[in-house]
Amino acid sequence: MRRIQDRLGSVGIHAILLSWTLLALFPLALIVVNSFKTRKAIFGDPLGLPTGKALSLKGYESVMTNSDFPMFFGNSLIVTCVSLFFILLFGAMAAHAVSEYRFKGNTFISIYLILGIMVPIRLGTVALLNLIVDMGLANTLTALILVYTAQGLPIAIFIFTEFLRSVSREIKDSARIDGLSEYRIFFEVVIPLVRPVIATVAVFSMIPIWNDLWFPLILSPGEETRTVTLGVQQFIGQYTVQWGSVLAALSVAILPVLIMYVIFSRQLIRGITSGAVKG
Amino acid sequence: MATLELKGVEKFFGATQVIHDMNLSVADGELVVFVGPSGCGKSTLLRMIAGLETLSSGEIHIDGQRVDYQPPSNRGIAMVFQSYALYPHKDVRGNLGFSLKHDKVEKSEIDRRVNIAADILGLQDLMSRKPRELSGGQRQRVAIGRAIVREPKVFLFDEPLSNLDAALRVHMRVEILKLHQRLKNTMIYVTHDQVEAMTLADRIVVFRAGKVEQIGTPLELYRTPANRFVAGFIGSPAMNFLNADCKDGKVLLNDREVCRSTHPDGPTTLGVRPEHLQVDKQGPFQGSVQVFEHLGGEAFVHLNLADGQTMVAKLDGEHQFRPGDSCQLGIAADKCHVFDNDGLRVAS
Amino acid sequence: MTQAASTSTPPRARRRWYILVFLAPATLIYTVFAIYPIFESLRLSLYTAQENQPVFVGLANYAKLLGEPYWADQFWNAFKNNIQLFLLHMLIQNPIALALAALLSIPTLKGAATYRTIFFLPTLLSVVVVGFIWQLILSPLWGVTPDAMKALGIGNLFRPWLGLESSALVTVTLISIWQYVGIPLMLFYAALLNVPEETIEAARIDGLNGWWIFWKVKLPLILPTLGLVAILTYIGNFTASFDIIYSLQGGMAGPNFSTDVMGTFLFRSFFGFQAQLGDEYMGATVASALFFIILVGVGCYLFGVQRRLQRYDS
Repeated sequence: MRRIQDRLGSVGIHAILLSWTLLALFPLALIVVNSFKTRKAIFGDPLGLPTGKALSLKGYESVMTNSDFPMFFGNSLIVTCVSLFFILLFGAMAAHAVSEYRFKGNTFISIYLILGIMVPIRLGTVALLNLIVDMGLANTLTALILVYTAQGLPIAIFIFTEFLRSVSREIKDSARIDGLSEYRIFFEVVIPLVRPVIATVAVFSMIPIWNDLWFPLILSPGEETRTVTLGVQQFIGQYTVQWGSVLAALSVAILPVLIMYVIFSRQLIRGITSGAVKG
Repeated sequence: MATLELKGVEKFFGATQVIHDMNLSVADGELVVFVGPSGCGKSTLLRMIAGLETLSSGEIHIDGQRVDYQPPSNRGIAMVFQSYALYPHKDVRGNLGFSLKHDKVEKSEIDRRVNIAADILGLQDLMSRKPRELSGGQRQRVAIGRAIVREPKVFLFDEPLSNLDAALRVHMRVEILKLHQRLKNTMIYVTHDQVEAMTLADRIVVFRAGKVEQIGTPLELYRTPANRFVAGFIGSPAMNFLNADCKDGKVLLNDREVCRSTHPDGPTTLGVRPEHLQVDKQGPFQGSVQVFEHLGGEAFVHLNLADGQTMVAKLDGEHQFRPGDSCQLGIAADKCHVFDNDGLRVAS
Repeated sequence: MTQAASTSTPPRARRRWYILVFLAPATLIYTVFAIYPIFESLRLSLYTAQENQPVFVGLANYAKLLGEPYWADQFWNAFKNNIQLFLLHMLIQNPIALALAALLSIPTLKGAATYRTIFFLPTLLSVVVVGFIWQLILSPLWGVTPDAMKALGIGNLFRPWLGLESSALVTVTLISIWQYVGIPLMLFYAALLNVPEETIEAARIDGLNGWWIFWKVKLPLILPTLGLVAILTYIGNFTASFDIIYSLQGGMAGPNFSTDVMGTFLFRSFFGFQAQLGDEYMGATVASALFFIILVGVGCYLFGVQRRLQRYDS
């Protein structure tokens, strides 16, 4: 690519990349910056920084105290973390089983388990709602956790399996000679081995869960079990006049994903580029 | 005392038989090398001895005890793998001590054994490094160390040097030989490299397609290979095989007598090792030089014989040929091998 | 692994329960909450409710969906919009992603790590957040866009794009592209990094320059990723597009259904809206129709695209 650089010039390339950077960041910055401003400043000078008289934390105050927002936040956190835990654990277990052991039906079960990548679980919503109601799980976080676990498993199993197939079998054999049971081999050898792709799987599984609107809307729209995404959506409808609060709510809703991403971005990219995610 | 005995061991993968009726006894302290081309079943057999593969039939005895239904850890074996199989999240000390810790061996005993192994293999300065911070040779040393600390009755090596570069491979080969002389354990060593087999083994087992072709000391295999396959596999460069004729107990090549044989009259195969040939004005092999490779101390002549067959001779470095030169080679009659039409060697 | 052990030897085919233990949790949850509902929905699409009892009606629901003007109009409108959405993503999102990935994969580029971190950022956000951000930015009320355009001297070109029937779908699509360009970008980027360095050097020695190396060497090598991105775009466009439409334009996919897609149509059929009551059997029928549409796409991908695209071993 050296020639491209020569022709376009390093400056040109950076100009293109910087424009997209601006395009990607500007809307976000606009929300976060204005969430710290007074109502007057939000409208009077939307592009200004929250300094001096313009600075106000009223929006955050009212979101955190006068709304159910902290509860929505907690709901989302519970749903996301528990689902993620199950996806990672059960996904790694299943991937280990299909990549390590020869048994009848191995090919069938490995294809069956990753079918869900191509067939979105949302298509079963009608029957899923009936099932959840029959189980008495309507308007519970458990319903969301179960559905999200089912939804996240195929891609997790796919990534883990691809990765584990590329790892030498010999290390597991070595552990067998050392006398470890198959369960301890999984927990003490395989889990540390898959660590490099755990971040990739975690981020890929977490984003759709945290951000999902469909299932919270259908399976648990109740006040008590609302997730932050659904909460923000309804909140926007109710409080469009309280701009400061809305902007603060948005900023808070962005936060966990942002933190996750910053922590894992290096590992995430490495996971993606190491070939764990192939076509 | 740790002997190893295989009795009628067989292995099927589905309908394919990969190990045929294997019988072998390994004496205490013996280093036996399994050698053969890839896919010949040698690694599978080793994994069956280790307990990583089940037997379809037959028995395995280690030290007089039947072990084939025991899990690997109860067999008194340790294994060194081609890819080293170190735990990437543990440092060298952790890797060395892992199996003992799992066996609930006392801490002081673990330290003692780990330190002995580290001394033997020169790992003392690397004890707190992670595997990824080690070179290939160092990793292999750790892998061997991990086997040593288990103080096994039998060491199993599965192509342990195949991932190393050529120079390091020679070095580690010598290290393993020294280790064997020092520990005097029974060892089974699997390789596809006949040079490794020749240099390391007390006895070699040559495999092909799940069957034993021949068992013997390196020199036995070299001097009296049972058949064409073994003859061609052992020795470098490989033995020349020439189509010859047998008449009245004489083996004739282009109507010139090469040696005598008990083979009945008719076509036969003559086996000649390149290193046994020498320039001889009266010799039976006459042809023109195709390629001449000079390695300094020695030289290889690729010869085109009158009937179109080709052969290679290893000569000492004093000789000089150019392509197209005519060349005549001879051989001592007792160095010739004659094979019948089934590829079996005919006793001379 | 369950060969019959010969009689003289102890039993070898030990039951390997641990395989079952490893597979059971994932298989169970996945089967009950993903696979079963999909097939149950397919079954429900063959029934209808009469006096609150399900009655088998064969393909009558499908006939209704495609035959009755009330249903057929909505169905084809949503389908048409979905196709338009898909084509726009293929023509705008994926080329932008490929171009950015190509620039990012220049080995000497400084700050590549920062760029790719930022480019992926919008993808992480909830569509609810994204939808609202853009609603605000494009809103005549807040005036960020009108003011900015005024400053550029093109203030009279401003329109409430999201509110106009003619421009709503395109605007929604552009917002969706802004958000999701990160996914194909990452996939292309990973594929480009996996092109063996030797191959590129060989091309350079053969006298190809940067552009030609990209077109003639790298692009063919990442074709499988192109296929993957196409099918992911296709699936996402038919199912995930619900979120952004619902949060930008609501369940009615306004104005006047101009942004209606299969997802919002499914939602309305299932839960009803205004005077129309929700009908779970029609909901199941719409979902099943969607299932077959996706199946056709995946089928094309697996048998057409994927088979012809050769994969190189990285």
